Amino acid sequence: MGNEELWVQSVLEMPKRRDILAIVLIVLPWTLLITVWHQSTIAPLLAVHKDDGGDSRRDLAAGLDSKEYCLSDRDIVEVVRTDRPVQKAELTRLANTLLHVPNLHWILVEDSQRRTPLITRLLRDTGLNYTHLNVETPRNYKLRGDTRDPRIPRGTMQRNLALRWLRETFNKNSSQPGIVYFADDDNTYSLELFEEMRSTRKVSVWPVAFVGGLRYESPKVNAAGKVYGWKTVFDPHRPFAIDMAGFAVNLRLILARSQAYFKLRGVKGGYQESSLLRELVTLSDLEPKAANCTKILVWHTRTEKPVLVNEGKKGFTDPNVEI
Amino acid sequence: MEEIVLDIVSSFPSCIRQQSLVATPKVIQNYVYSRPPPWSDTLPTIFVITPTYTRPVQKAELTRLANTFLHVQNLHWVVVEDSPRRTNLVSNLLEKAGLNFTHLNVETPKSLKLGLSWIPSHTPRGTLQRNLGLHWLRNSFSNSAPPEGVVYFADDDNTYSLELFEEMRYTRRVSVWPVAFVGGLRYESPKVSPEGKVVGWKTVFDPNRPFAIDMAGFAISIKLILEKPQASFKLEGVKGGYQETSLLKDLVTMDGLEPKAANCTKVLVWHTRTERPTLVNEGKRGFTDPRVEV
Repeated sequence: MGNEELWVQSVLEMPKRRDILAIVLIVLPWTLLITVWHQSTIAPLLAVHKDDGGDSRRDLAAGLDSKEYCLSDRDIVEVVRTDRPVQKAELTRLANTLLHVPNLHWILVEDSQRRTPLITRLLRDTGLNYTHLNVETPRNYKLRGDTRDPRIPRGTMQRNLALRWLRETFNKNSSQPGIVYFADDDNTYSLELFEEMRSTRKVSVWPVAFVGGLRYESPKVNAAGKVYGWKTVFDPHRPFAIDMAGFAVNLRLILARSQAYFKLRGVKGGYQESSLLRELVTLSDLEPKAANCTKILVWHTRTEKPVLVNEGKKGFTDPNVEI
Repeated sequence: MEEIVLDIVSSFPSCIRQQSLVATPKVIQNYVYSRPPPWSDTLPTIFVITPTYTRPVQKAELTRLANTFLHVQNLHWVVVEDSPRRTNLVSNLLEKAGLNFTHLNVETPKSLKLGLSWIPSHTPRGTLQRNLGLHWLRNSFSNSAPPEGVVYFADDDNTYSLELFEEMRYTRRVSVWPVAFVGGLRYESPKVSPEGKVVGWKTVFDPNRPFAIDMAGFAISIKLILEKPQASFKLEGVKGGYQETSLLKDLVTMDGLEPKAANCTKVLVWHTRTERPTLVNEGKRGFTDPRVEV
């Protein structure tokens, strides 16, 4: 049931679908997962199994403002494979959660130049419906050494690529119901959360644990069931003082506002969510979930970096053994 | 063994095909799908003993752990809280999860908590709790008619692949496999000879321990646990890294070990650790509503 395709596959054969909800999850940080729910059994999208001969950047440029995805002249790009040791573990346990969610389509966008075999295999072996994309965040070698461009928040290009893929894949007038959810791969999701977001008409919101230096941050909901503010300590006056994991967007809205993306540059810390949401919805349009935002259904957990000091300089374990 | 009927959310009739309906006393009105897979009378049972303790990320850890276990057939989760009383948080979670479970508790005395550690920041916890789990098993099943099955010690912050449980299910005595992110390495692993026998340990830290293996790297057949009722984890005077040995030495010798995971060449379990969340903005008096369970 897995689907691997270059996002640029514009000639996709659209399977006939009954009227259903699709939920799209986009997961970060190094990989983005988008899950789309289809209630009917999905005929596989035309999958083109191509070798990743570094096509990603070229394909991305097609039909895109090339400045957005290509490196600007000032930057020197250092191509380094990012191998986060815990990546397979994170995706494994996330998959174990997602496997319980009906009609889920996982869109995973790697922050890398090529789709990696580890992820390719993992996605295929889960049995989930998925789409595997990739785009590499340019690194800024000059300014910060071997770090990525600090002006582009982590995951932004990947999320935007997924949005773009959605807009390319689903016709604007499509009646295909769907929900888009952005999820980090180290967060923890209850199964109840996915049920809550299913009924999203425009944008739904709920509390998220372990963000903003608090046990949880939450939208403020009045007696009439409308969101009127944000229970946060950090900058509660942001237009949308909410974590990436705290909202979901109806696919129709994503398709209708086809220019709405996460802002790439010049975004203050904590404002990334606002940079997208303000193009989609107003505060009063928000739909509070999770018992009017009184229950915690998602936790912003973070996984420690494992200590690998005993590998030494030359490595102790067999590098062919995948972890 | 309780079996659970899951009610169907009526707006998604096509999900019926994922459902398995079984007659039972208990009806969960929440979500849609069939979890866990129906109990089988012929499949060996996997008893997973998880010590757990109260801290902010506890509910998150147990939630995602449950989400994994819900895929495993014939799994019985023995959750042992390090607590003077069974907490509502864990009780409610276990009730709602839909798993077969047993909920126990025993509090580690403060003196033991301090004394067991040679690295102050890594107090080996869970010993009393694991032993209580073993005790419960021995009380629940008689030695004369032991059930087919295995015992596995699963900490609540590790990551388990579904494949791992199938590897351990048919353990005859004690089976072993590699574990990622332990001993300062990408993974530690038993050394397996071409004949398929364990002959040593691929570790940097003290590879000469009798069993240089992490808690997540082995499973023991129920039969053996019941045969050797005195075998438990040693509580005091255990050097760092020797806790597993303190149990295994009374159960098996190295050449009796059964290597799994393709003769210990595949990693099916990761010793992940979860960061402690920053709660600095709660301040002295607390900002969030303490009645909202996190």
